[in-house]
Amino acid sequence: MKEIDFEHKMAAHCESGTVTALLNHSGLEITEPMVFGIASGIFFGYFESSNFSFPMFIVRNKPGSIRKNIIKRLGVSFYTKDFRNQEKGIEELDRLLTEGRPVAIQVDFYYMNYMPEHLRTHINVHFINVIGKNEESYLVSDSYYKEKAQLKADLLHKARFVGGHMAPKGFLFYPVSIPEHIDFEKAIRKGIKKAAHDMTKLPVPFVGVKGIRKFAKKVTGWPDLARDIDHLSHEIMKINVFLEDQGTGGAGFRFLYATFLQQAAQKINDTQLEGMSRRMMAIGDDWRNISYFAAKIGKNRDLGEERLNELSQMIYAMADKEQDFFTELYKMVK
Amino acid sequence: MKEKEAQIKHDLHPLVLYVEKEDGTYGRVESASFLSKNYLDDYFEKVRKWDAELKEKLDKGEISPVYYYMVMLEMGQGDLASRVGIPKWKLKKHLKMKAFEKISLCMLKRYADVFDVPVSNLLHFTVIKEKDQNKLSITYQKASNNPYISLSIIETIEE
Repeated sequence: MKEIDFEHKMAAHCESGTVTALLNHSGLEITEPMVFGIASGIFFGYFESSNFSFPMFIVRNKPGSIRKNIIKRLGVSFYTKDFRNQEKGIEELDRLLTEGRPVAIQVDFYYMNYMPEHLRTHINVHFINVIGKNEESYLVSDSYYKEKAQLKADLLHKARFVGGHMAPKGFLFYPVSIPEHIDFEKAIRKGIKKAAHDMTKLPVPFVGVKGIRKFAKKVTGWPDLARDIDHLSHEIMKINVFLEDQGTGGAGFRFLYATFLQQAAQKINDTQLEGMSRRMMAIGDDWRNISYFAAKIGKNRDLGEERLNELSQMIYAMADKEQDFFTELYKMVK
Repeated sequence: MKEKEAQIKHDLHPLVLYVEKEDGTYGRVESASFLSKNYLDDYFEKVRKWDAELKEKLDKGEISPVYYYMVMLEMGQGDLASRVGIPKWKLKKHLKMKAFEKISLCMLKRYADVFDVPVSNLLHFTVIKEKDQNKLSITYQKASNNPYISLSIIETIEE
């Protein structure tokens, strides 16, 4: 196996983890929370779409935005490419690896067969770094796996070129250059401003704090959408999965964002942000309580009207808290 | 979240949490999934039950194998149709036996590829009796030059 010298480290989230690791590899010292926060990663959205088997919510901005916002705000440049032709996409990845370059690729998570089977679902927006290759396998660094992992070439190709919702189309990227001077203060303030804006001011009824309210309202109607009580229990317990287990750093990215605010406060010497960081950590604790609650009532099949109303009220309360929080945060960086 | 609350050990599902350390700073800690650690059995129990219920419906001809795999893999109709490369209305028809029995072998293969199983698995289920589940395993091997033919290999699990 020809292996590129690359530091593998688990991360909270695949996209911010992948981008952070590549930047670190290129010599820019930056943490995952910083990347996440500067890229305005925090978000909320409630979706009902035939692309999903059940209504679902997201707690971060659109896949790909972390990379794009980092390019914009830090001034780093990335080489990015997707492919209509599979052969060309494979050749390009192999060529870059021969040059000794670690490359990030977008894949369908389902084919990452080093992960336990029950965790592998079809999600087309997983990101990993490829850091080596031999005749039959690739060596990958996946933020969700303890060690570097080998993935058979045919699986990796399949994962890069599947169809479906947000198909990866062989997408790959790597950093090309990093500016000598970066204005972190500007980047941090812009990153915060955009996140606070999107959480409170977008005129769309299912995103930001409006999305949280929509979720709170709709969750009481979930019994009508479920096949039976076990299915309902499964979907309720998936609230825990979306908030805690799908690469969020806990509490739907709120802990990660609190860490960003703390690091940002120190970096630009802003005590106001330090206070906001404490508040965000507390908001995260409340979300984490919702996760525990959802897991418990799901497991006990305690899913009557009263219990779901209780859950709904807990979620409504988060909308109020986050509305106050992000409105205030917006004013601080305006 | 305090660091001590993140002391969760579960090798099957490790993950990174961001927590408050003893000195008041926030940072990363390698932890594990609370849900997987405490409720994984419940999940497997549900999956077993769905599998049995859906197979019973298949047996009665109430649903098609496409429906079976779509539900078991928790795929949305729009996403599945797009992966297979057909319009959603067509997929919806294929969820019932009436339309499923008319689909071509080559369409069957497109579904099988998306579901990541041999083509034959859309028409044939092999079940290992519960008492033997720790003793036997089935793996599928595709014939090298004929994508429609697969080999099921049943073997004893070595201790």
